[in-house]
Amino acid sequence: MELELEKRRASNKSLSQFLQEWAILFIFIGLFVISAIFVDGFFTYTNVINIFRQISFLAIIALGQFFVILVGGIDMSPGSSIGFFSLLLAGLIYWNGLPIGVAIVVVLIAAIVIGLVNGILSVYGKLPAFIATLVTMIVLKGVNYLYSDGIPISGLPSGFKVLGAGYIGGIPIPVIILIIITLICWVFTMHTRTGRSLYAVGGNEEASRLSGINTNRIKLLAFVIGSVLTALGTILITSRTMAGQPTLGDTMLFDIITIVVLGGTSLSGGRGKVFGVVIAALILGIIDNVMVLLGIGSYWQWIIKGVILAAVVVIDAHSKKD
Amino acid sequence: MTAAHKESGHTHQAPIIEVRGVSRVFPGVKALDNVSLSLYPGECLALLGENGAGKSTLSKIITGVYQPSEGAMIVGGVNVTERGNYNIGMAQEMGVTIVHQELQLIPEMNGIENIFIGRFDRKLGMVDWKSMKRKAEEIMAFLGADIDLTVPVKHLRTAEKQIIQLAKAISVNAKMIIMDELTAVLQEKEIANIYRIIDILKKRGMGIIYISHRLDEIFEVCDTYAVMVDGRLIHRGKVADVNKDQLVEMIIGRELTQVFPPLNENIGEVVLEVKGLTADRAFRNIDLTLRRGEVVGIAGLVGAGKTELLNAIFGSYRKTGGEIRINGQKVNIRRPQDAIAHGIGLVPDERKQLGLVMHFNITHNTTLASMRKFRRKSLLMDHRREREATIEAAEMMKLNYVSPSQSVSKLSGGNQQKIVISKWLLADSDILIFDEPTRGIDVGAKSEIYKLINRLTREGKSVIIVSPEMEELIGLCHRIYIMFEGEFRGCVSGEDKTQNNIVSKMLGV
Repeated sequence: MELELEKRRASNKSLSQFLQEWAILFIFIGLFVISAIFVDGFFTYTNVINIFRQISFLAIIALGQFFVILVGGIDMSPGSSIGFFSLLLAGLIYWNGLPIGVAIVVVLIAAIVIGLVNGILSVYGKLPAFIATLVTMIVLKGVNYLYSDGIPISGLPSGFKVLGAGYIGGIPIPVIILIIITLICWVFTMHTRTGRSLYAVGGNEEASRLSGINTNRIKLLAFVIGSVLTALGTILITSRTMAGQPTLGDTMLFDIITIVVLGGTSLSGGRGKVFGVVIAALILGIIDNVMVLLGIGSYWQWIIKGVILAAVVVIDAHSKKD
Repeated sequence: MTAAHKESGHTHQAPIIEVRGVSRVFPGVKALDNVSLSLYPGECLALLGENGAGKSTLSKIITGVYQPSEGAMIVGGVNVTERGNYNIGMAQEMGVTIVHQELQLIPEMNGIENIFIGRFDRKLGMVDWKSMKRKAEEIMAFLGADIDLTVPVKHLRTAEKQIIQLAKAISVNAKMIIMDELTAVLQEKEIANIYRIIDILKKRGMGIIYISHRLDEIFEVCDTYAVMVDGRLIHRGKVADVNKDQLVEMIIGRELTQVFPPLNENIGEVVLEVKGLTADRAFRNIDLTLRRGEVVGIAGLVGAGKTELLNAIFGSYRKTGGEIRINGQKVNIRRPQDAIAHGIGLVPDERKQLGLVMHFNITHNTTLASMRKFRRKSLLMDHRREREATIEAAEMMKLNYVSPSQSVSKLSGGNQQKIVISKWLLADSDILIFDEPTRGIDVGAKSEIYKLINRLTREGKSVIIVSPEMEELIGLCHRIYIMFEGEFRGCVSGEDKTQNNIVSKMLGV
């Protein structure tokens, strides 16, 4: 009888599981079609390309957050590290006159260091990830103002613009970079041993440790990947805006976490999909875009997004009960 | 005797609850099929059956979690199914309670808070701690238990926590308690305390439904038994009229021939040698040898340091002295990775917390410790080979499964345990350490695990077992070390492997 039961459960599961797993994709398609039909000015080449470009920055940063949440952590540091990376990049190019390529490498190294600090505080210092990364965020906020005096660093060479604003074959370069990063992340999470270990550690850290996985190293790695992807996204934004801004990340953290959770990543770790995160970024991008097209004020936009996050977290909590 | 009058149509007492022809259908499955059962004041009824036989569904019907698809629940003479508002809260109000093995206490709160949670006494709108403290102490005195009720319960021992759970059930004026595997994680001495409490409750006219996989306990405390097979209640009677073998036969629906297979006689050279192993506070000066094809047991009370010792050998508990040799070579095991690399695998006591990633599928759990074997030159995982190896291991384990990509969370305890064992087979472990390998596993699956352990030794694996079940150790092990307060107090084998010998050493006599 037990076997019968299991068999039935398994077969019932496949269809409902499929629908559940890809619900996010259907929501995206539905939202897109509805917006295309009902919202004037939505379904034009320029607008659609614009949405894709706009979300690509945030989606890359959200993919970074995805890795941290996947191992059961959370990363608050982007709230200031985005500003830091953008200032550092602009400062290195404008003040120190470094070549763009070198400046980017330095920023990525800084990102690794920040990720390591987050990871070491949380993994070896045994601080809760929330507190560890909050500390980093607050400290970096101070660093940002010290470094820039609170003034944006602009006047970057026009050659730098191509990363964030350029096109290849009619497709914005940030979108192409997002696609490449997404594919790498997907292969990494689904088809490598380290990727599997990330899920295992997030799902059951103790069992993973007793199965020989170096759980500390895996968690440390997640924080570093998170920080590096944040830096990559920031480099593209900085290229798009052509300035380093101390307050750049201030309002982004909320969107980042919304995207990761909306994408089906479990806040308790161990569950989530790379594509889910990217599609969630698209959904949020469409909502933002439609609200602008409909002339909804930005104050209302915040309220609406808050409600969306609440709804998503409620759904997340309920789906775990089963 | 309450048991005696209950079969003979006693007239003076009404049943506390009566389950009348209850069926419960879940989509595609009949979990309960026309079950009738009543429980009388002062009766302790053993509810028996394999996992999946319907015991927990029946418990949930009784406590109002589920409603019957057919039939009715009568509580205190009232047909609550007909009345239609029977739920968990209503059940509690009517004195129907359940205590699980899994603790339902709030770890950060103290005993008093846990006992009265949700029903705090009030005085002038404030919580009346004095009155609750007095009541809690009364209950403790009634149970004859001496437990510190003022510290957060997380600091208490499991046995103490379970007594607090019982106190909580009693404090709501319970007329009956379902004890669901309450003793599964307790040791003999503490179980005896539970027996004593059950006796007190029975004398007070409370009814008890006792669920346990350890049949010996049934004969200690229960008056009557009911056996469920495939959702039907097929046997009902007095415990005094049956013996253990008969009960086992009823439960698994067949005769259980030879629970323990004959010991492997082909013993080879020493594979593991532990010398003077010490860990501050947990254990001292442990010497242990293990040969190829041998099963060695470790007996001892809770707190003797058994689990710590196993974990120290496996590198997940800090040791402060001594050495470990594998195949004659001194090895330095500081982390589980090191132990695994030296061919040691640990099957932990808490399957769900320590053995499996519950939402991983069978394949991913099976290959968790051996992922590097399934890597291609490109560094990517070879999913097909992973799947094939999993299927191969599952077939060898006689795993009851549908697909290697199904989640492990819905599998029975025995099947989950087989997956944990498979994990170590794929990791090429030659020394397998089992910490309570049959905890929470039903009779039929237990004997399968025994056969499996036996077969592994015949294939040249070596095994260390810790188990609270004496019979299991005696039946499975070539030699049994006895541990008392962190030290080995002797080692018995052959003729000397008797319960008396072991228990007296376990108690430090």
